[in-house]
Amino acid sequence: MNATPGHAPVKSIIPKWVRNPQEFVGGIALMAIALFALWASSDLQGMRGFSFGAGTAPRMFGFLLLGLGALITVVGVVTEGPHLAKYHWRGPFFVTVAILTFAFTIRPMGMIFAAMASFMIAACGTPETRWVETFIVGVCLTAFCCLLFPYALGLPLQLLPSFMIR
Amino acid sequence: MNWYGRSLASGFLAVLAGMGLSSQAQAQAYPTRNITMIVPFAAGGPTDVIARIVTGHMAQTLGQAIIIENVVGAGGTTATTRASKATNDGYTLITGHMGTHAASVPLYPKLAYHPEKDFEPVGMLAGTPILILARKDFPPKDLKEFITYVKANESKVNAAHAGIGSVSNVSCELLNSILGVKPIGVPFNGTGPAMNALVAGQVDYMCDQIVNAVPQINGGTIKAYAVATAERNPSLPNVPTTTEAGLPAFQAQAWNAIFAPKGTPADVIAKLNAAIVKALDDEGVRKRLLELGSVIPAPADRTPAALGTLVKNEIAKWTPVLKAVN
Amino acid sequence: MGDVFTNLGLGFGVVFQFVQWTPAFLGGMSIPIPVNILLCLIGALVGTLVGVLPGIGTIATVAMLLPITFGLPPVGALIMLAGIYYGAQYGGSTTSILVNIPGEAGSVVTALDGFQMAKKGRAGPALAIAAIGSFFAGCVATVLIALLGAPLTKIALAFGPAEYFSLMVLGLIFAVVLAKGSVLKAIAMIVFGLLLSMVGSDIETGASRMAFNIPELADGLGFATLAMGLFGFAEIIRNLDAGGETDRKLVQEKVSGLMPTGKDLKESTPAILRGTMLGSILGILPGGGATIASFAAYTFEKKIAKDPSKFGHGEIRGVAAPESANNAAAQTSFIPLLTLGIPPNAVMALMVGAMTIHGIVPGPQVMQKQPELVWGMIASMWVGNLMLLIINLPMVGIWVRLLRVPYRLMFPAIVIFCCIGIYSVNNAPTDVMIAGAFGLVGYWLIKHDFEPAPLLLGMVLGPLMEENLRRALLISRGDWSVFLTRPLSAVLMAIAAALLVLTVLPALRKKRDEVFVESEN
Repeated sequence: MNATPGHAPVKSIIPKWVRNPQEFVGGIALMAIALFALWASSDLQGMRGFSFGAGTAPRMFGFLLLGLGALITVVGVVTEGPHLAKYHWRGPFFVTVAILTFAFTIRPMGMIFAAMASFMIAACGTPETRWVETFIVGVCLTAFCCLLFPYALGLPLQLLPSFMIR
Repeated sequence: MNWYGRSLASGFLAVLAGMGLSSQAQAQAYPTRNITMIVPFAAGGPTDVIARIVTGHMAQTLGQAIIIENVVGAGGTTATTRASKATNDGYTLITGHMGTHAASVPLYPKLAYHPEKDFEPVGMLAGTPILILARKDFPPKDLKEFITYVKANESKVNAAHAGIGSVSNVSCELLNSILGVKPIGVPFNGTGPAMNALVAGQVDYMCDQIVNAVPQINGGTIKAYAVATAERNPSLPNVPTTTEAGLPAFQAQAWNAIFAPKGTPADVIAKLNAAIVKALDDEGVRKRLLELGSVIPAPADRTPAALGTLVKNEIAKWTPVLKAVN
Repeated sequence: MGDVFTNLGLGFGVVFQFVQWTPAFLGGMSIPIPVNILLCLIGALVGTLVGVLPGIGTIATVAMLLPITFGLPPVGALIMLAGIYYGAQYGGSTTSILVNIPGEAGSVVTALDGFQMAKKGRAGPALAIAAIGSFFAGCVATVLIALLGAPLTKIALAFGPAEYFSLMVLGLIFAVVLAKGSVLKAIAMIVFGLLLSMVGSDIETGASRMAFNIPELADGLGFATLAMGLFGFAEIIRNLDAGGETDRKLVQEKVSGLMPTGKDLKESTPAILRGTMLGSILGILPGGGATIASFAAYTFEKKIAKDPSKFGHGEIRGVAAPESANNAAAQTSFIPLLTLGIPPNAVMALMVGAMTIHGIVPGPQVMQKQPELVWGMIASMWVGNLMLLIINLPMVGIWVRLLRVPYRLMFPAIVIFCCIGIYSVNNAPTDVMIAGAFGLVGYWLIKHDFEPAPLLLGMVLGPLMEENLRRALLISRGDWSVFLTRPLSAVLMAIAAALLVLTVLPALRKKRDEVFVESEN
């Protein structure tokens, strides 16, 4: 788990004439985003006389981003720079799953379940986790949140699953 | 910690109901737990304030807390969509208004609910009159001159509004369609910025709810031509009604009312309506609503049926106006 | 002058009001209780504690705590709300410094150098200087409101759509200067932010833009949602793959002193002064002035610094200036509310809500009709700032100790708090998912050395810029020259152009030199 972004001699699919792969790929991705935005706003109305239409500004910034992305890509070819940084799957994966778990369970299952479940899932994101300790902290944290948000702050958060209330 | 006990008990009750206890018995006990009131606008806005004043009193009558849940977005339609899909047991209600339960029909072609088909009317809370306002140095002196002036200078005048679908936008469209003019509409993000522009004289006129305008009118920073209701408002005794000033066709009022999801038991609705009526007769509640410039509905207008009729009429009123604009 | 003192006297009289409390157990003896001071203290304390939860920004905190004040008498309620507001703002700065999660636009800038200071073991001085700077700014701004509140209102009214558009252009240039690395990439990030800000319904036609029929997108992406994703979640993910534990141990070993050193104070003092000045002026402008206060201050410091390269790597001036500016602006943004009765931003709109709940509808006459309310509030601002200093300086030690919690336990907790925070802003699960998605985007951006700060600022300024541009053109009937013929607007445009040249030229020269050097090799 020691990532040293920059100098990893990864076998890469990027051609040799690209001297700064980080910028090169970044620029291309920005261009892709710009094209996506242009496509997404293509159904919007343009200028109507002197007044801007709904689509004018998005298209303007879309083209601008396209141009900037292209420039960054060019910079990626002509300047020397770091290799692509190494990605890890474990952290991003478990943190994302934890967030999604929270989002999908908070309404049907209530806060006790949602908070506890996503705490434990997020904890899977690192190999350093010690399970007993994490479990105890998780229980305490869930209890704390359940006291703090609905009671102390009076937020409309449901604690128990819906099927137990109705 | 008594909430746990209560919700466990009500959970138990729900299980019992599922096992064959008639819904009648359940309704007699209603409400046995907290009621959630969805307010489709931000905390502190006109609708929120009215909802909090009335539900505060209703909670005493019903013996259960009413928890306000502010859900903001898309002119209130996000919240209304959510309310339309809520369980119809009387524990989720919504404070709707002119925008969410009438003007939204022509404004949002892809609306995920229908005010009449997906909701049971519960009861009217209060109406907020709409005023025709202008910057303080706008040439016309009264409504008659205003009409002539706007018609003569159609291409020059600017009308401010607080965003597409807002009360100020919708009511101004009605005014413009009655006058037969199409001035440039300058959109703002909410009533505050729009009012700021009017005070600063950057725009010429707008229509807005009385709550926001009274202090500015009294302070002399803007002027009011007329109030679009049948009677003058006690908080602005010197401002004539549109009928008095010569434009009887322009009648508009922003109203707030409570709705429940379709299929909510009739006796639950009756209980809720009784609580609303009791709140509207309370001296303290009346005083605070009147301070806001609101119009409290007459006893005949407080029934669920009257609200149902109002929704039907309002949809019929706004649809042609707003369809023509979009 | 005399008037001001009478008025301030009235204000402090209201704040220091004592209520006789005669509990039965004392047998008829009564104890005087300074109710309003207590309310202000409780407000500031609760505001700080809630604001410090990652994921809950200033607006969310005030909105959340607003109902608590409904049961109080009007003056007490407003004083408590003011306390909550300052508390929340300071709490937000705390999270920016400690865990790099800004809850609002202003703290994005604080996070730049504040978090770097924390990484170097200097979280204590960063937090302390933020409190001291805020307090100083608060004092100055309070006096300013009392002295010049009414005349300053004219500035707010002189700003029309054309002026706001020019101000936003200037703001975007500030955002470029914020960047540590490549100017080109910073500009690209701003434009990306601008594009993201276009999502939602169009202000003029109501047409849905790039929202793909997702109802939660209909009103656009929320700032908090995006900030939690790009800063909060992305930072967590990055820490996880860099071996967070070892990193943290380094931080803990390095912790050196909780209070700023003499050198720190000497460096920060002029920065605090300048920040206060800039913030006070920008705060008066409703609709976006306060937003750009903190990064205007940061940009200014970076531009006049002898060694600008230190900025972004834990420079104390980079915390002191924006924090003072932010607090000064927070304070002076009350001016339009108190003199015109018009709320200039979302937090002030909530304040108006609180007033209407209590039957006070603020307007241009509120100062004459309810002087005890207005002056009580002005006095309470000062008291609120004092409370912040009293509460927060001793708490610096506690906050810094929080950093010693092992990261393996800390990060799942931050994830949960962020989730609850985002969810509770609008009770929308979709917002949580969007934040998660932007967490991954943020991770990718870090990997490609793109900075998220300019993106967020583009996102905040985008709608203000577009809307004001369109308003200005509607009012001028399509005449683009308004931006140059209106004097205020022209001045702002000129400053923007000058700053752009100052920023881009050195960068271009550097690039050319680099290319030159490399081709020699």
